[in-house]
Amino acid sequence: MNEEEKSIQNLTAYKPHLETISKKGIALIGVLLLFILFGVVCLYTQVAKGHVVTGMRDNVVWGLYIVNFIFFIGISYAGALISGILHLLRVPWRTPIIRMAEMITVISTMIGPSYILLCIGRLDRLPNIALFGRIQSPIIWDVIAITTYLSGSIIFLYLAMIRDMALLRDNPVKTAKWRNPIYKFLSVRYNDTTKQKELLNVSTDLLSIVIIPLAILVHSVLAWIFGMTLRPGWHSTIFAPYFVVAAVYSGTGVLIMVMWIFRKVYHLEAQITKIHFNYLGIIMIILGALYGYFTFSEYLTSWYGSIKWDMEVLFRLFSPGEYLIEFIFAVFIGVLVPIIIVTVPKFRNINSIAFAATIAVFALWVKRYLIIIPTLESPLLPIHDLRPEYVHYSATWVEWGLTFAGIAMFILLFYLFSKFVPIIPVVRTGEEKDYSRLRKVVFEKQMKKAIKENKKGDTITTGIVILLMLVASSGAMAQDDTQVQTVLKLEYFHVDSLQSLTGTLLSRQEGRYQPLEGMEINFKLMQGGTEKSIGSALTNEKGKVAMAIPEEVLATGGDKGLYTFSASFMGKDKYGKSSGATTMKPLKMEMSFFQKEQEKMADLKAFEQDKDGKWVPVEGLEVQFYVPRTFSLLKVGKGKISGGAASLEFPTHIPGNALGYLTLMAKVEDNEVYGNVEVSGTINWGKPLPPVKVIKRGLGDTDAPLWMVYTLIVLLSLVWFHYMYVIYTVFRIRHLGKQ
Amino acid sequence: MAKKNKKDSTRRNFLKQGFTIAAGSLLGGGLIAACTKEQGPVATGEKVKVLTADGKLMEVDRGHAMCCNVPSSADVRKGIPGRHFVMVVDLTRCRNARACVKACSKMHFLAPGQEWIKVFLMQDSEDTTPYWMPKPCFHCDTPACVNVCPVGASFKRDDGLVLVDNERCIGCKFCMAACPYSSRVFNWKAPDNQVDAKYSPMTGVPQKVGTVGKCDFCPDSFLTGILPDCVTACPNGVYFFGDKNEDVVTNGVESFRFSDLVKDKAAYRYMEELGTQPNVYYLPPVDRRFPVEEGFESVPDSSKAAYQVKRAHLKKYKI
Ligand code: SF4
Repeated sequence: MNEEEKSIQNLTAYKPHLETISKKGIALIGVLLLFILFGVVCLYTQVAKGHVVTGMRDNVVWGLYIVNFIFFIGISYAGALISGILHLLRVPWRTPIIRMAEMITVISTMIGPSYILLCIGRLDRLPNIALFGRIQSPIIWDVIAITTYLSGSIIFLYLAMIRDMALLRDNPVKTAKWRNPIYKFLSVRYNDTTKQKELLNVSTDLLSIVIIPLAILVHSVLAWIFGMTLRPGWHSTIFAPYFVVAAVYSGTGVLIMVMWIFRKVYHLEAQITKIHFNYLGIIMIILGALYGYFTFSEYLTSWYGSIKWDMEVLFRLFSPGEYLIEFIFAVFIGVLVPIIIVTVPKFRNINSIAFAATIAVFALWVKRYLIIIPTLESPLLPIHDLRPEYVHYSATWVEWGLTFAGIAMFILLFYLFSKFVPIIPVVRTGEEKDYSRLRKVVFEKQMKKAIKENKKGDTITTGIVILLMLVASSGAMAQDDTQVQTVLKLEYFHVDSLQSLTGTLLSRQEGRYQPLEGMEINFKLMQGGTEKSIGSALTNEKGKVAMAIPEEVLATGGDKGLYTFSASFMGKDKYGKSSGATTMKPLKMEMSFFQKEQEKMADLKAFEQDKDGKWVPVEGLEVQFYVPRTFSLLKVGKGKISGGAASLEFPTHIPGNALGYLTLMAKVEDNEVYGNVEVSGTINWGKPLPPVKVIKRGLGDTDAPLWMVYTLIVLLSLVWFHYMYVIYTVFRIRHLGKQ
Repeated sequence: MAKKNKKDSTRRNFLKQGFTIAAGSLLGGGLIAACTKEQGPVATGEKVKVLTADGKLMEVDRGHAMCCNVPSSADVRKGIPGRHFVMVVDLTRCRNARACVKACSKMHFLAPGQEWIKVFLMQDSEDTTPYWMPKPCFHCDTPACVNVCPVGASFKRDDGLVLVDNERCIGCKFCMAACPYSSRVFNWKAPDNQVDAKYSPMTGVPQKVGTVGKCDFCPDSFLTGILPDCVTACPNGVYFFGDKNEDVVTNGVESFRFSDLVKDKAAYRYMEELGTQPNVYYLPPVDRRFPVEEGFESVPDSSKAAYQVKRAHLKKYKI
């Protein structure tokens, strides 16, 4: 039998699967659609109500979604590495399983990232990633890496399908004939001529070379999302290779599971044989051992080093009340059981290997959970919170619903794909035979249990939320309508040449003062039993109101040199009347600066009016010196005015502006006679501020470091150049087919 | 504006003290340092009257007053030129009065249970003393959260602040995972009771569902000399805030030279070893004014258990 005959025979064998769909198949699709529909409901709930419906909270900010994301990206390794490496090494038995591996890659690379979308609080703002993307962020690395990887995987899958498409074009399907033109289109006029064959082989080789490092990068980048943070259990240098190994391990596991299922369902016993299971099983346990080695190294290092924060995470993993069981399952059972099953010849058969793979895949899912959750539950600062969801993460039905929807989607896409294209390459299929029986897997049971437990937890939290709401609402009741006392305080200020009055209006309720805004305050000058209005103004939002004292008022000479001002509030609505008064004697202060030898001095002069209205020097008045700053006045000294003068050594050590200009202020504060009087002067004697430095903040800057930009450009262009070349070859193949 | 109103109404404690506060800001003085760029403010000779934060009328040069307008939107990401804002937290004075937490939550319209400032009961090891540690955002100079933000919604300004633009944030929570100090909170559901104000990263109001928020040091009022709300709300004067370039920090009542305070009281930065370069300094909890037990007075009985958790853990680790 030559190759072509063999291929046609293979196709004839597979064709029933393309042309018919069993009742069970329809039922399966129905069930899967139900799961997906439920997922849609969950998604709607989450979008409508916000992320409260998930178990994620401020401490555990990421949950099941990220776990699933890592999981799916992890299993996508099956295609990349298995098919890539097996292809490059020309391993003879690879043909029947290579398509499944690639399909796992493509489908899971599509489903995985949708989980990261579920984690995003504002899906509507996704365009921001394109608009404002910063390549310093590992998330952007991830976006770039995954899109590139997905594109590559799709091209790779397609390349490997061209031969089958050509065969299908020549032997069209009889049902759902609309597929035939598609086959024809996709076959790009491939006729297996020497030239076409060569082109196809070259580009497949090329792509498998590119896809391997790319796959490693994708998973490393994913690991770096965690590794780049300063969190215990994440901030680890081996995280990237660790993730890579764990990913291939789980990818191989899923591939074995898929092989087992399709072999059974589509009766592919002739093509997928014991040999495939054995070989893949061996690859799997080698990876398993590697994964075990990395795990051991990781935990041993942090345990031995025993940094406080690392210990907290380890403590969680090792305590029976928390994650011990999961830890044992993920780390011991997940590694040892597959190894034992595959290495001991007595245990090794198709079913047991599939079972081992299932264990490995489950264990790896749990491992991802253990990577994410315990670390997030152990922040560096304590959690003083009694709300259980803020302390411990427990996924809600929404998250589980979407998790199962994702799995259902995976299966559905796989199934539909297998109805469109032979799940096993029909052209050039190797042969071997083996028949065995299967054993039941325990998926469903576990899942059901998980849902049940989770629901329980959920009702409890809802109860607590309702309770909290009740408590909160009862507080916001009481209010009374009785008249409210007010207080009006009046102060006199004399700032430089400006003299003013400031009133502060406060309401007093239950012993608490609160500023009153928008109230009218009347200012008056009291003089010998008569009142003279100065004006009125409204209080601001702080209850303050200020009024400049006109020159002519101060020219009157007052009551023997004393001026009494009053302010009054007439009351409004429920707020009662109030008034305040203040008496003052005008004080004139002047500040000047002089330099005596090396000493820089500030000089203050103060005068008051005597009975005749003449300005005479003041005696014995306390004054404070300040340097005004943005939020406060810095006290730099005090003095006593004698003979109408006081002086202060200028505080030259205090920073001024760029030219050294510094303001010095002298203040007479809350004086019974003079009120508040202040005067200030500015001179360039302060410490000049050094010119503003633009601080380079490396990764925190708006612009990425150049090396990062270059690396990205070089890597991306290398990869995309290859993609382009491959696509170009496809066109060449098409072109050649015309002749 | 709405935020301001709120802000002021939370200043009761401050006002209650009877206005003995001589501090308060002087607009003119602040200005001169505010414009430390090459030329500084240009005086026009024309005087205008302004009302200062503590209610004084004063006259400043129009040129100076213009210089000091709240930064335009373009500056929101750059910050106020020539400034470097820092906070000093005096651990000797804290008794978990929680006034800062309440003031902050009120002014920023935080959802119940959300806190931008947290007060931790710290105990580094079994035999060392417990103490209360208030913790705002540290506004690190090399902020882990800013590094990882995929869209630049978290950003570092040249005046030292780390702010979040919740109109750009996509809600990926990466920054929350990256921040080693648990400074960030997420709006897990649509926050209610929000004001209808125009959003600015400088006010952080209104909160938006699906985005992160965190302590912003209340920069919208810096140029009018108003201190962050937690600073003025604290009855014990725990927080000192100021501009490192001006070399002064104040808690609203007392002012110290930053360099002196940090030197004399042996200030430290929390978990400096992470390399995040925080802008919040702690004065060690020596000679505390209040016994640590007093801090439980403000905690309702039902919540007391929350503080036990960590201690139990500590025992188990035997560290
Ligand atoms: S949650 Fe928002 S601010 Fe934080 S990293 Fe994501 S986009 Fe940036």
